[in-house]
Amino acid sequence: MSSRRAFWMVIGLSPVILAVCVLMGPSGIGLPDLQSQRDILMLRLARVLAGFIIGAALSCSGVVFQAVLRNPLAEPYVLGVSSGAGLGAALAIMTGFAGAFTTALPLCAFLTAVITLAVVYGLSGNGSTPSLYGLILSGVVVSAVCSSLLMFIVSASSIEGMHNILWWMLGNLDMPSDAVLGLSALLVAAGCAGLWLMARELNALTLGHQMAHHLGIRVKASIITALLLATLVAATAVGVAGLIGFVGLIVPHIMRTLVGADHRRLIPAAAIGGGAFLAVCDALARTLLPVEIPVGVITALLGGPFFLFLLKRRRTPGLIG
Amino acid sequence: MSTAIQLHQVTAGYREQPVLENLSLEIAAGDMVGILGPNGAGKSTLFAVLSGLLRPSAGTVKLNGCNVHAMPPAERARTIAVVPQELDVPVPYTVEEIVMMGRTSAIGRFSSPTAEDRQRVERALVYTDVADIRRRPLNELSGGERQRAIVAMVLAQDPRIILMDEATSHLDLNHRLEIMQLVERLNRDDGVTVLMISHDLQIAAEFSRRLILLDHGKVVADGTPSEVLTEEMLRRVYHCDVRVHQDPHSGGISILAAPRLPAPGSGKGIHIHTIGGGGCGEATLRRLALCGYTLSSGVLNRGDMDAEVAGALGIATALEKPFSPVSREALSEARALALKANALVLAPVPFGSGNLANLDLLDEALSAGKPVFVAGGIENRDYTRNRDAVARVQALLARGAVPYQDVADLITLLPTC
Repeated sequence: MSSRRAFWMVIGLSPVILAVCVLMGPSGIGLPDLQSQRDILMLRLARVLAGFIIGAALSCSGVVFQAVLRNPLAEPYVLGVSSGAGLGAALAIMTGFAGAFTTALPLCAFLTAVITLAVVYGLSGNGSTPSLYGLILSGVVVSAVCSSLLMFIVSASSIEGMHNILWWMLGNLDMPSDAVLGLSALLVAAGCAGLWLMARELNALTLGHQMAHHLGIRVKASIITALLLATLVAATAVGVAGLIGFVGLIVPHIMRTLVGADHRRLIPAAAIGGGAFLAVCDALARTLLPVEIPVGVITALLGGPFFLFLLKRRRTPGLIG
Repeated sequence: MSTAIQLHQVTAGYREQPVLENLSLEIAAGDMVGILGPNGAGKSTLFAVLSGLLRPSAGTVKLNGCNVHAMPPAERARTIAVVPQELDVPVPYTVEEIVMMGRTSAIGRFSSPTAEDRQRVERALVYTDVADIRRRPLNELSGGERQRAIVAMVLAQDPRIILMDEATSHLDLNHRLEIMQLVERLNRDDGVTVLMISHDLQIAAEFSRRLILLDHGKVVADGTPSEVLTEEMLRRVYHCDVRVHQDPHSGGISILAAPRLPAPGSGKGIHIHTIGGGGCGEATLRRLALCGYTLSSGVLNRGDMDAEVAGALGIATALEKPFSPVSREALSEARALALKANALVLAPVPFGSGNLANLDLLDEALSAGKPVFVAGGIENRDYTRNRDAVARVQALLARGAVPYQDVADLITLLPTC
């Protein structure tokens, strides 16, 4: 199958998949009665939309981190962005800000994520364009620090607060309000569109800083802009939906094998395909068992083995999909 | 002919350590120039400066009359392109996608490739003979195919100047020639200026009309291949002996290495006493030990780098306490060693008042009729108050001591069995 045809297949199939997801829910499979169960339909629609937005955000940022860091195993977690966003979100939940203002959760998450990114970037390069290993190394360190602070917050909070934070950490697509949903949709759409417009820079950056320079790219400005936009969408996702792992890793790889590595096609395909993927995972989470499974559990159960598979395949050259 | 590249008094380097110093250079448009020089000569730094990667700390770099560091990136990409030694691509781009990246700066942010972009890519694919593998991922290809695809990318970029940064050094002879012929054709057909760094003197001589030989950040030779590639010049710069032959029919130059390192064991039974210190005699000791000479050294301070090496090689050494001036006892111990030696060697050691007494040994050796070899450049290593070391070494030379430039040079001078 040509990558062009695969691209249109991803774009075309996604609405169908989303529609199927709307038909699934704990109250039964099938279209709810429009007269008596209107609320159920609205709930499911909001839930599928949330899954789509968060999935799009995570996979889009995954694509960008993999391209800029030139590392097929990179995802929002690698640069400490997710942990940073998580720390901010946990603070917002614990202090009660998240309950008081709709914008507090995504905003706090974005702020701490950007601070984390700035710290990582500052640590890795002394003034010049940082090396990839520097970025990844300081990302891992800063990420570990953020995670332990997060653990501290969890341990220090009340029983109720602990429950809230834990449930959020497992990944949860139940949006507190339509306003939060709308706001995150806006942020994610803007971020992904911005990243799509940077497709040629991302293409060039995967060839390395020097080659990108020779091809006529402003390397430092492009790296910073791409990382900021990717952080914006990742932090929004983590802020409202918690730590949903592996979406940012699996989807970019699947999409790359389907539509190719050219970011002109890869970014929209990852956004739309990633959205559909998370919506499906959430639909499964809601219907597989009588009780709802956190969606993060489903993605991790699918993602863990896939990650190992990738690592194994990495040893054969040319197959890094 | 117009000037494609103009460097004016450029000083540049990494981390405040200048690699290029006050370098001025002009290259005519449409020329094909080879840049030669040993490792660390400044070839890569020169390319980094030319491509705008590295900003020189002084001087200007002009490409077609424009300062490269003031050019907008897109214009710079239309002017100059680089074929790297190797391109590590972590994602499976196809050959066609890679070649299209040559158009990166030509395609607008809000538009897709135009018919002209596609046509240029098509032409590059055909020109470099990779059209039939255009859908294959780059990282599945052989070295030669990969390098051809990268040349195609640079071709699609359509620059006026191409820098080849050891672009063929990973390839076998056949693919090497193939890539070079491709670039030569580009130079001939389109008038593209080509600069290439190569460690393959043969290929550089064959494909360049002009060669520039760099050493320690300076141009040491500049001219046609037969002017630059002389035995004497190569010996001076590469510190090894070569034979240069010019074919009387084709005019082609062939360069053969003439091993000048005596076979191990050629110094068997010959005793040489060396005077080193501060790590300067290390290389001398190691190389002489390799040739099978019986060695002794001293006076050295305990803990000194040379003393450690001497110890490790099992060389008899007269030792003094750490950081102390050479005492009479230590000197007489060294004298005993030097008396047994067939020849004495003074390594490129810096002199202060503390170790000046070591020169007594050389004086005495000359009086005893033993050959003495002295490293050149004592003027730069004399830290004594009245330049005593310079005066004494000059006296030694006047009395018949033999000067040498480096270890390779020394080996040819020493007595062999």
